This record gives sequence, C-alpha cells and structure tokens, in this order.
Amino acid sequence: MRAAVHAQKEMTDETQMAAAPARDNRREVRAITFGVAGWMVPGLGHALQKMWGRAITFFAVVGVLVFVGAGMRGNLFNSDGGDAFATLGYLADLGTGSFYVLAKYIEVGGPDVSHAYGDYGTRFLAAAGVLNLLAALHAYEAARGRKA
Amino acid sequence: MPMKPRGAGKLDLAMKFHLSHLQGMLLFALLISIAFGFLSRRRPLDRVKYIAWSLLLFLLFGIGIGWAMYPFSR
Repeated sequence: MRAAVHAQKEMTDETQMAAAPARDNRREVRAITFGVAGWMVPGLGHALQKMWGRAITFFAVVGVLVFVGAGMRGNLFNSDGGDAFATLGYLADLGTGSFYVLAKYIEVGGPDVSHAYGDYGTRFLAAAGVLNLLAALHAYEAARGRKA
Repeated sequence: MPMKPRGAGKLDLAMKFHLSHLQGMLLFALLISIAFGFLSRRRPLDRVKYIAWSLLLFLLFGIGIGWAMYPFSR
C-alpha cells in the first residue's frame, strides 16, 4: 500500500515537472507579448495586466512629451542619420512606438533647433522614447512575476 | 501650377510651444517624476512622496547646475 502511494506520488511529481516548462514557456510568450504591446502603444502592456493607474500614466506622460516635443519643433531623427549620435537619437525616438508616427504627423514644419525650445523638443522626444522602453520592460517583468 | 507647401495634407495643429528654459525644465521634471513615481512605487502615498522628492531633486540640480555654469556663459 505504502509502495503504491509512493509510486503514485512519484508519477505526480514527474507530471508536474513535465508541465512546468510548458507553463514557463507560455508565461514567457505572454510576457514578451505584453512588453511589445507596451512598446507599440504606451501603457498597453500594463493595461492588458489590469494595472490601470500605470497604464493611464504612461500613456499620458509619453503622449504629452511627444506632443510638446513635436510642437516645440524638436529633432525627430530618421533611420538615415549620418553619425552615431543620430542613430542613437533615432533608436531613442523609436522607443515611443506608434507615437513616433504621430510625432511625424504633428511636426508639419520640420525640426528647428536654432532656438532653445527646439533643442528642448529634441530632449522631450528622446526622453519619451526611453521612458516608454522602460515602461515596456516593466510590463514584461511584471508579467513574468518579477515585479508588481 | 502652384506648389504645395511643405506638410500639406498633414494634420496642421499649428502648435508652437515657445517655452522658456525654466518652463521647459519644470514640465520635463514634473512629467518624468510622475512616471518614475508610478514605475517604482505601488502605494499611492509612497508614489506621492517619491514624485515630490524626485521633482525637488530635479529642480535643485537643474537650477544648481545652471548657476554653476553662469560664470562660463559669456
């Protein structure tokens, strides 16, 4: 009787061990999906996890930074940047996800960094991108259960 | 045939935010502090404390560095 119970327990343990990697894989895929969603639309990664406060905050903060940055005629970098700084700027700007397209749409007259506010606009746009990447990474980590 | 002006057909919000250095810094510090507060704290009271502390440090360092650069500005 004891041997039978022991054998059954061993079988249950093995089944659980086999199921664990599959569950981990599902969780990882889910976490990556939330991270990518958060990058594409600021706050979406948190909204999908029902973290409404963070979702609304990131959407609003990144949105305002992009809106004001583009309105100040900051430099929105393109993929054909001539040097390493332009490439880094492009990567930072891309961090805003879909808002990058929105910024292109808002900035009708093109960048003007001959004034202080144009320079500020460039920083606003880059900060929005980096902040959104940070938020997307947070959404990914939260989905993996590492952060709350 | 008249040429189309640059950006024609795009959304023209006619936005031009002419902010001063101080206004730009204030807005930037406030937005980033709020985002950091929500990112790193869970409880509302902790968030408010973090946002206030972060904003204070942003402004202190910003104005401090501004004053430190003053002798070299001309």
